[in-house]
Amino acid sequence: MDIVIQILVTGMTLGAMYALAAVGLSLIFGTLGMFNMAHGLFMTIGAYAAYAAAEQFGLPLVVAVLAAMAAGAAMGVATHLVMVRFMLRSKAFETNVIVATAGLAILLQDFVLKLFGGYPYPQPVRIEGVVRLFDVAVARQSLLIIAVAMVLIGAVAWLLLKTRFGMAIRATAINREAAQLMGVRTNSVYLQVMALAGALAGVAGVMISSLSTLSPSMGGDPLLKAFVICVVAGLGNAWGAGVSAFALGLLEAAIQYYVGVRFGFPVMLVLVIAILIWRPQGLFGTEKVVRL
Amino acid sequence: MLAGELNKHLAIALVIAVGFAAVPLFVGERYLLGEVIIFFIWAMVAMNWNLLMGHAGVFSLAQLLFFACGAYGVAMGTQLAGLSIWLAIPLAALAAIVLALLIGLACLRLTGAYVALLTFAIAEMARILIVTDTHCFTLIQNNCQQLFGGSTGFSRFADFGFRPILRGDWIVGHYYVVWAVFVLNLVALVVIIHGRLGLAFRAIRDNVGYASSRGIDRQRYQLIAFASSALLTGLAGAVYAGHFRFAGPSLFEFSTLMFVLAMVIVGGLGSTWGPLIGAGVMMIVVELAKELGDARSIILGLSIVLFVVFLPKGIAGGVERLRAFVFRPTSQNRSTTATDTHR
Repeated sequence: MDIVIQILVTGMTLGAMYALAAVGLSLIFGTLGMFNMAHGLFMTIGAYAAYAAAEQFGLPLVVAVLAAMAAGAAMGVATHLVMVRFMLRSKAFETNVIVATAGLAILLQDFVLKLFGGYPYPQPVRIEGVVRLFDVAVARQSLLIIAVAMVLIGAVAWLLLKTRFGMAIRATAINREAAQLMGVRTNSVYLQVMALAGALAGVAGVMISSLSTLSPSMGGDPLLKAFVICVVAGLGNAWGAGVSAFALGLLEAAIQYYVGVRFGFPVMLVLVIAILIWRPQGLFGTEKVVRL
Repeated sequence: MLAGELNKHLAIALVIAVGFAAVPLFVGERYLLGEVIIFFIWAMVAMNWNLLMGHAGVFSLAQLLFFACGAYGVAMGTQLAGLSIWLAIPLAALAAIVLALLIGLACLRLTGAYVALLTFAIAEMARILIVTDTHCFTLIQNNCQQLFGGSTGFSRFADFGFRPILRGDWIVGHYYVVWAVFVLNLVALVVIIHGRLGLAFRAIRDNVGYASSRGIDRQRYQLIAFASSALLTGLAGAVYAGHFRFAGPSLFEFSTLMFVLAMVIVGGLGSTWGPLIGAGVMMIVVELAKELGDARSIILGLSIVLFVVFLPKGIAGGVERLRAFVFRPTSQNRSTTATDTHR
């Protein structure tokens, strides 16, 4: 029983962090049709922004997290304004933008390295202590991560499903031209989505670094997992990405416990490939009928 | 038209081959010859990637996994299995093709961005598994040696064996071995790109629906492209290991991937010779930038972003556009191309 609770808590914590990254990634893909290889760097930059706010300016933790969100959102907006905007109408956008954002990723990672150095700082933005849950010691930070992720994802779901703003995003995702004809300003929708996804990534970065350390390359591993989550959910399906993130987080925690830490991700990936052979459009995706 | 194009590009390949064959006659410096060898290797990887990405339209990010597979094959074959390097090289290339078929069968059911993500995830997974491996497979000179070399990889295994024969000029031996593989690779690429296979690849890339309706099986042809590109890349990796006596996880880390990607993008995705030019340009630029300090990542990132946004067809596409602008086709030119199509 103790072990089950331990796996549940670890898995939910992992899932919460993956979900924050994967939902943003999925939102961007859904609306812009763009796969953002620089998303991991949005997380890294968010984490360093929180670190700088808390450590160097001595701001309270909540403000530091807000700083991370702001930094992530600013990165998202800047990426769109400086780069993606010029490529949207180009041929082979879907693949070209992967290359371009990968280039951006290596560029940003180098800036972080030059600005903060490669030393693995601990993340000051976290809470200490443990609580006992049915005789199992659970870190408060884990519970906080799960709670924050739930609240943020709930907020995004509310935003997407209940507000006019969300309706515009969903309309653009379904059909860009039709949304434009209905008076949706797609360009500002793109900016809003990039800001929203960037803010989520910024928080994810703070959470991830609070469990390990800060480093310029810290975004790589969670990004990889967010990729896999988005693919298995069906690209562009934000809701499915959130659910898949928690499912895969739990699965990874279980494998890490029973098989070994090294094999958490490989087993997950093999499973995902098996799922894709069975359902190429992803678990939550719908099959697309292409008209020639 | 097909045969004419093929002959034209074979002639270009011949000129390149002869030109590089003559280099050791004029250049004696070991450093410079070493640089040309590295150029051969990266040019091969970039051009093979271009076959897959630019011509077949398979956006694979696992290209360096096959390069590493070739290098690891040679390292493990010579150091762990005690094979001769001349046997280890073809075996390593074979291993690359088997790996490619497995990955291709799994990934090519999907298309577009899905393929990119899945191949990227697989390559990273392989790298992480190798790096985190701490279980000792054997002991080499009292040092723990993991089955796949762990985080440091393999080094100081047998090379091509020219040191006792050529003494101080051993690098010339290496040069001609890598040159031979390079020329083989060029000819193979030209034959594929300008033959019927290349036509099928580009037909799928340009319009899957139309190509399928004319009887071209997307999955089958993309798998052929995937496997042949991996075979040639594995061969490049094998001679890399033979030359440097090194194979390790740094061969397929993200920054190496970006380096080769920059070569393909800067040279020109979908062209025949673009990535060869791109490999040369990027190597020279990165070499010059060494004097400015640690600017490699900045240059790689900037050149990728700028080229994708402003010149998505790279240098080759730029030259093509310039040529089309300067030499507008006259009516005579047009009539010859028309007769050429009848062959």
